[in-house]
Amino acid sequence: MLSTIQPPRYLSRFPLRGRTKSRSFHILSSAQPVTKTCFAADQSQILSIRDSLLNRHLSAVELTHSYLDRLKQTEPHINCFLHVSDPDKVLKQAQDIDDKIKRNEEVGPLAGVLVAIKDNICTADMPSTGGSYILEGYRPPFDATAVKRLKDLGAIVVGKTNLDEFGMGSTTEASAFKVTANPWDLSRVPGGSSGGSAASVSARQCVVSLGSDTGGSVRQPASFCGVVGLKPTYGRVSRFGLMAYASSLDVIGCFGSSVADTGILLHAISGHDSLDATSSKREVPDFTSQFTYASSLKSRPLEGLRVGLIRETVDAGVDSGVKSAIEGAAAHLEQLGCVLKEVSLLSFSLGLPAYYILASSESSSNLSRYDGVRYGNQASSDELNALYEESRAKGFGSEVKMRILMGTYALSAGYYDAYYKRAQQVRTIIRKSFKAALDENDILISPAAPSAAYKIGEKKNDPLAMYAGDIMTVNVNLAGLPALVLPCGFVEGGAVGLPVGLQIIGAAFDEEKLVKVGHIFEQTLEGYNFVPPLVTDVGGASPEL
Amino acid sequence: MGSRALLMLTNFNFKATVSSFGSASNPFFLIKNNLRIRNFSTKTRSSLQPPDLPGLAETARISLAPNEVEEFAPKIGQVIDWFGQLQAVDLDNVEPAIRADTEGDNLREDVPQTFENKEALIASVPSYEEPYIKVPKVLNKE
Repeated sequence: MLSTIQPPRYLSRFPLRGRTKSRSFHILSSAQPVTKTCFAADQSQILSIRDSLLNRHLSAVELTHSYLDRLKQTEPHINCFLHVSDPDKVLKQAQDIDDKIKRNEEVGPLAGVLVAIKDNICTADMPSTGGSYILEGYRPPFDATAVKRLKDLGAIVVGKTNLDEFGMGSTTEASAFKVTANPWDLSRVPGGSSGGSAASVSARQCVVSLGSDTGGSVRQPASFCGVVGLKPTYGRVSRFGLMAYASSLDVIGCFGSSVADTGILLHAISGHDSLDATSSKREVPDFTSQFTYASSLKSRPLEGLRVGLIRETVDAGVDSGVKSAIEGAAAHLEQLGCVLKEVSLLSFSLGLPAYYILASSESSSNLSRYDGVRYGNQASSDELNALYEESRAKGFGSEVKMRILMGTYALSAGYYDAYYKRAQQVRTIIRKSFKAALDENDILISPAAPSAAYKIGEKKNDPLAMYAGDIMTVNVNLAGLPALVLPCGFVEGGAVGLPVGLQIIGAAFDEEKLVKVGHIFEQTLEGYNFVPPLVTDVGGASPEL
Repeated sequence: MGSRALLMLTNFNFKATVSSFGSASNPFFLIKNNLRIRNFSTKTRSSLQPPDLPGLAETARISLAPNEVEEFAPKIGQVIDWFGQLQAVDLDNVEPAIRADTEGDNLREDVPQTFENKEALIASVPSYEEPYIKVPKVLNKE
């Protein structure tokens, strides 16, 4: 019983206009070994672009023009970007790629791929504000490691996306600068805090984007915007250059319009970094090596895969439309051969207060660096403490101030044991319960949020109501596990329905399994079109090549 | 939309009666029958002193306007009360976890490295008088 709110319009995910699908393609040796896979290029925009560029079907300049035009047309409606790169610079980078290809020189595996970066990730050549007045105009002197790796592989950074200030929020309403709108319904939120990054990919303004996930900030907007969001294991991707919110929980995550694209992007940015003491030295497998053609899949390609549906996530308080979409997704997994059962995680509901205690406390410490002295906006004052107090009072928004104050309280002498220490103990319990569940199951599934996108302004004045929306996602951060969210259905709302995402949770460092399962699920899911009408309404070039 | 229902407190002190799901080798607890919901209220009262906002603001070096104190106090109070539900949980003998512990020991050699882009670092400083970062005087408050 798949949720059939939206009548199926297209059968293929990517409407290819009069272009034959290429079945195989040569990959020039490149910096990163992208496996020579034998699946249709249209399962991945990134590989499709690479194919077209290397076979000279399309130039990087033409591709860039197409995306920039669409960005220009959609941006006034959705406001994803805080900073858009100078088009001339972007086109010059595209031209350089075309020139290299003409000269038969190597180009990186992400050559010509337009990527948007969440504005709490440092980029040296453009402003990075973290969505806050306190860093308005700030230009970091370095690139984040994740950004550097993308650039080294040929990606073109198209701009910095909007977010809730310093990652604190679930809607982008806490941004100092603007509110991003959901491309599926402009009166609704895109989710947060990586709302700009999710909406940007959803509206096909860029191919892929980077976000950050501390309590669900990649997964929830992926669900709200109908795109794929991948949160890696804590330690998989370097946090160097990510403005710290809660250091024990933050990760950089990936958005794409397909599971394959997020897998390729994650592979590009993963790996040990000596500049991040919490980054893991583990090998990074090529996530794309598991991909296969939809048509060449056996009839039950996931035979025997043990899937646990987390009972507490389909209980009271969850939208009935979301429940039905998840049940449909579960049925689809069973058709693919999975063995489905319900799993109960005892401590599930404790995760939310534990998360907010830990996150507020760590943020109160991390944000003390914004004092108006070494960078950012400085208030005028004739006394040092007043300088700190005024700069921070003027620079921070309300949500950030409240969380700093709550964190300061939770860490105060006399309260540390009651709050912070207990939250850390709850973290241990949650880690163990997830580990036990993942010993018995290969993956766990749940919704990514208790509802689809809600209206702008609906939860703005009720912090607890907004925090409640994070219930599906925070436990995964506490346990440090990887999770993938991919669109699986729709609920009523907006012009054609609002997308709902399925969350797939894996064991630590098992992103490969998530990407494999997600890819097969996506390729065999029929009857849905996850391109928002806004993209086709603005006209112009088809979103795909 | 029932979002408050999600904040319900569960009784964590249930007896470990194994109501096993599936085969005997499955150590999984299906707690459906053992779960006692303590209350649906989000108004769990913390037994500690409520937050003193002006004091906290001073510690956090943020000056708050009176209207902000008025606006924040009830919201912060509500959230801190909600935090209080953790005090009801039995956490004896549970080790606190600093982080998820997925990443292992990755310290690098303690060897200084030159940072190349010093000009950009200096350019970011709001108030710079070569070679000092300039700040106003410090007054010792009593």
